[in-house]
Amino acid sequence: MTDWHARVRRHADARGARLAAHAVRELAEHLEDLQADARARGLDEAAATALAEAALAESDLDALTGSALRRDPPTTTAVPGLGQTPAFRSLSMGHALRLAIRQFVHHRSFALVTVLVLGIGLGAAVTVYSIVDGVVLRPLPYAAPDRLVTLWATNAEQGLAHDPISPVNFIDYQQLDVFEDAAAWWRPDVNLVDPGLDPVRVPTIETGANLMAVLGVAPQLGPGFPRDEPYFARQPLVAVISDRLWRTRYGADPAMIGRQIRLDDTPYTVVGVMPPGFDYPGGIDVWQRSTWDFSQHSRAAHFMESVARLAPGVTLAEADAAVTGLGQRLERDFGATNRNWRVRLVPLLDEALGYYRPALAVLFGAVGLLLVIGCLNVASLLLTRALSREREIAVRTALGASPRQLVTQLGAEALVLSVAGTTAGLLVAWAALPLIAATTPVEIPRLAEVSINPRVLGFAAALGIGTTMLFGLVPALVLLRRSLSADLRAGERGSSRGSRGLYRALVVGEVALAAALLAGSGLLIRSVARMTDVPTGVGNPDVVTTSVQIPEAAYPDWTETGALHSTILERLREQPGIRGAGAANFLPLEVGWRQPVAIEGDVLPAQTSDLPRAQFHSASEGYFEAIGATKVSGRFFDARDTPAAPGVVVVNASFARRYLEGRTGRVVLMTGTAGIGPLGRNLMPRTPIAFGGQQVPVAKFEVVGVVADIRDAPLGQDVEPAVYFSARQFPFRSMFLAIDAVDAPTALAALRETLRATAPGIPVTSASTWAQRLRARTAEPRLLMVVLIGFGALAALLASLGVYGLFSWTVALRRRELAIRLTLGARPVSVGAAVVRQGTVLVAIGLVAGWGLVRAADTALSRVLFEVRTMDAASLGTAALVLASAALIACLPPAIRAMRVDPAEGLRID
Amino acid sequence: MLRRSAIDEAKKGSAELLILALVEGEALHGYEIAKQIEARSDGTLSFTLASLYATLYRLEERGWLRGRWVERAGQRRRCYYRITESGRKVLAAQREDWARFIGVLGRVAGVRPA
Repeated sequence: MTDWHARVRRHADARGARLAAHAVRELAEHLEDLQADARARGLDEAAATALAEAALAESDLDALTGSALRRDPPTTTAVPGLGQTPAFRSLSMGHALRLAIRQFVHHRSFALVTVLVLGIGLGAAVTVYSIVDGVVLRPLPYAAPDRLVTLWATNAEQGLAHDPISPVNFIDYQQLDVFEDAAAWWRPDVNLVDPGLDPVRVPTIETGANLMAVLGVAPQLGPGFPRDEPYFARQPLVAVISDRLWRTRYGADPAMIGRQIRLDDTPYTVVGVMPPGFDYPGGIDVWQRSTWDFSQHSRAAHFMESVARLAPGVTLAEADAAVTGLGQRLERDFGATNRNWRVRLVPLLDEALGYYRPALAVLFGAVGLLLVIGCLNVASLLLTRALSREREIAVRTALGASPRQLVTQLGAEALVLSVAGTTAGLLVAWAALPLIAATTPVEIPRLAEVSINPRVLGFAAALGIGTTMLFGLVPALVLLRRSLSADLRAGERGSSRGSRGLYRALVVGEVALAAALLAGSGLLIRSVARMTDVPTGVGNPDVVTTSVQIPEAAYPDWTETGALHSTILERLREQPGIRGAGAANFLPLEVGWRQPVAIEGDVLPAQTSDLPRAQFHSASEGYFEAIGATKVSGRFFDARDTPAAPGVVVVNASFARRYLEGRTGRVVLMTGTAGIGPLGRNLMPRTPIAFGGQQVPVAKFEVVGVVADIRDAPLGQDVEPAVYFSARQFPFRSMFLAIDAVDAPTALAALRETLRATAPGIPVTSASTWAQRLRARTAEPRLLMVVLIGFGALAALLASLGVYGLFSWTVALRRRELAIRLTLGARPVSVGAAVVRQGTVLVAIGLVAGWGLVRAADTALSRVLFEVRTMDAASLGTAALVLASAALIACLPPAIRAMRVDPAEGLRID
Repeated sequence: MLRRSAIDEAKKGSAELLILALVEGEALHGYEIAKQIEARSDGTLSFTLASLYATLYRLEERGWLRGRWVERAGQRRRCYYRITESGRKVLAAQREDWARFIGVLGRVAGVRPA
């Protein structure tokens, strides 16, 4: 068999004729027929071949060049172009789609890169949108959740914006008409003891019986709290448990209702099991009905959390006005306790989301930027492609292809790309969502419930198809308009000037958005670094922290309670591998009880309410040593500081500076209630002292030591003056233990052994080192930081790709000009430098625009930053440096190619 | 400029007419068209490959023909050309023109159909 295809091609090449693939094929078929006919007429193989050869030889294939070219794209590809298809004149969308798919099968790398860029951009966008949709946009699982608000005490003078409320004040707020109802609770943390089961600490709230009714959620099992009894009923003791506890501890016992469970050695009757997924106020396993009258407490004691349902027709603003009015009245009536205290309403969803609302807003913005960068990238890819087909489009238009047909075909190509890209994006999101839920180091509220729902699907499809169609069709339309008017030949090179401008704008846009993203991640890195750098006053990051609670039923006496804590600590210190141990009722970073204090010998105000306030903590001997706190002067606590000995306190440096001129030996007067909060009691004797003619009982404590500030406020707030009482003189039932051990397992084993010997029935809870606790505190911004770094890196990569594409294309387009320059004596280095210079200008413009974007996002960003301004020079500088380096590296290969242009080669190009 | 023979000139002018006329009744591929022209003209008219296909492509571009790759049973895939509606109009007009022209040739130059 003679390969007529090859012969036709060789013949054409020899004469410099450029034939379309289909013409080559048709000629080859013709020659084959000719040869076969000759054979059929009796000629031998050689003669038949010679006949056909002669027919080919006498043909001047040049005559076919022009006309054949008109039927095919200029590239000699086997894929039929527009004019080539027989069905061209009535191009249907279906046919156009088939053509488009074949185009992309042949231009695989272009299609692959486009789909990949779209897929990554869309995948990230859909993932984040799914999370935002599931976490923020979806209503909470309560009846009419947008009518629910939380109540928080504020005190402008003390700089407090989010404090628990006093139970007595709560009762007043609950009566307001603007609320349909309101419920309040506090978190006692109790030990749950069941026969035959290990005792455990269960997260508990003690709440008014109306909590479930306020939320509008009924138990899945049992009637729940009785509603027809008085609000504060001492008996019966009833509790509702979570679905989680019911399944894990009681094996989903259907006869759970009416069963008794022992909470802190007190029997409670289970009256309900909440439905799965009900988790309010977060992580709670047992809801006890409160047994004490909220109004019989102190207006100064702030420890209740609360939620209220707005009355029908009442707006948040009206409710806000009402609570502010009541706050002012309470301040007038109860100046001693309520001065400067107000109540602020926070919608429940905002409260539940906390840091995540601004964080997700930032993330949403970031992923939007990433998506836009992806789209710009795709746009520039499509534009390059459109430009390389400029001549083809011009030829087709000249041949009478109607703009409608061309747009149909170009639209079909954009549609194929966008559908493929959207599918890829959905696959990415589908794979990423469970991965994120499984690997996130922090607990994002409601994250487990997140999935790709139809809303997200619609969002993705609209986004993907819309952007690609837009960016696919617009460059094509621009070209089409030009090619309709432009002269075919003259238009070949010159008409690209405008497109180059468009291309440049796209790349500048990419660089700007990438700069904004990188700057954002830089700011988060700085924030996290600042957070971890904040001095906490804890010098031993490896100290193991856990907690122990002594139940009231077994140890009703406070002296005994204090003594038991001391015994536990003493035994613990004797265990192998333990270097030291201590206890305190608050860990660092937590706020102690804020109470009025007076210094003996100072001029006392007329009223106790005018006294300054300081935080009250209770700490055992060995506590400061175990956490590695620094002693400034005097001594820390020791075993002498019993209730029988004189009262002693250690104060922090802030307190000493502000009230004692830095000296120990002075006496602090404690005027407040003898018991602070329901879990502690001061055991020291009180003597009356005159305050403005009124006798007030006070307890006296000598300042025996000053400890360097241990952070007693959340990150971002100032350390407050604090007074540490001896745990023996001021015992609490629930204490945090700080154990200085060789390692955490040793500490836990020692504690377990100690409790078994001294107080069987008291459970050991999970333990973590101080470093772990501190990490958990910064986990949320850390996670946001990691995500933003990922986005930033991706954005920088995409922007670099854009820069690379732009200059590769420009250099290819300008080969002739570059060759002429080189012929005229330009040095290759200067030609390369020109490319780099242009790249630098583009990147510089992009960076400035990027900074503008960061400035514009100032409000949203500042809510997730910590002690870093949005215009932080180091972050912006680093981002600029990273991006500029990446972009300039990207324009090096084209620059090198420009330098290597062969002057003669450049001149040959048509 | 080269002088061409009368046949060459006429061939060039009539090529379109011949091809349109051949595919009027049925769709043919390029080789069949060439063979039929040669057979019906007893070898007087023949096209080189290039001129045949250049004419076909030109006719197709004008929308008078439509080529379609078709695979028939027992044959290779070939590009078959079929006349279009506008092709038929052009063919009718050309036939009239040529008839008038040949009549003129007869009356003026004494040319008679063979």
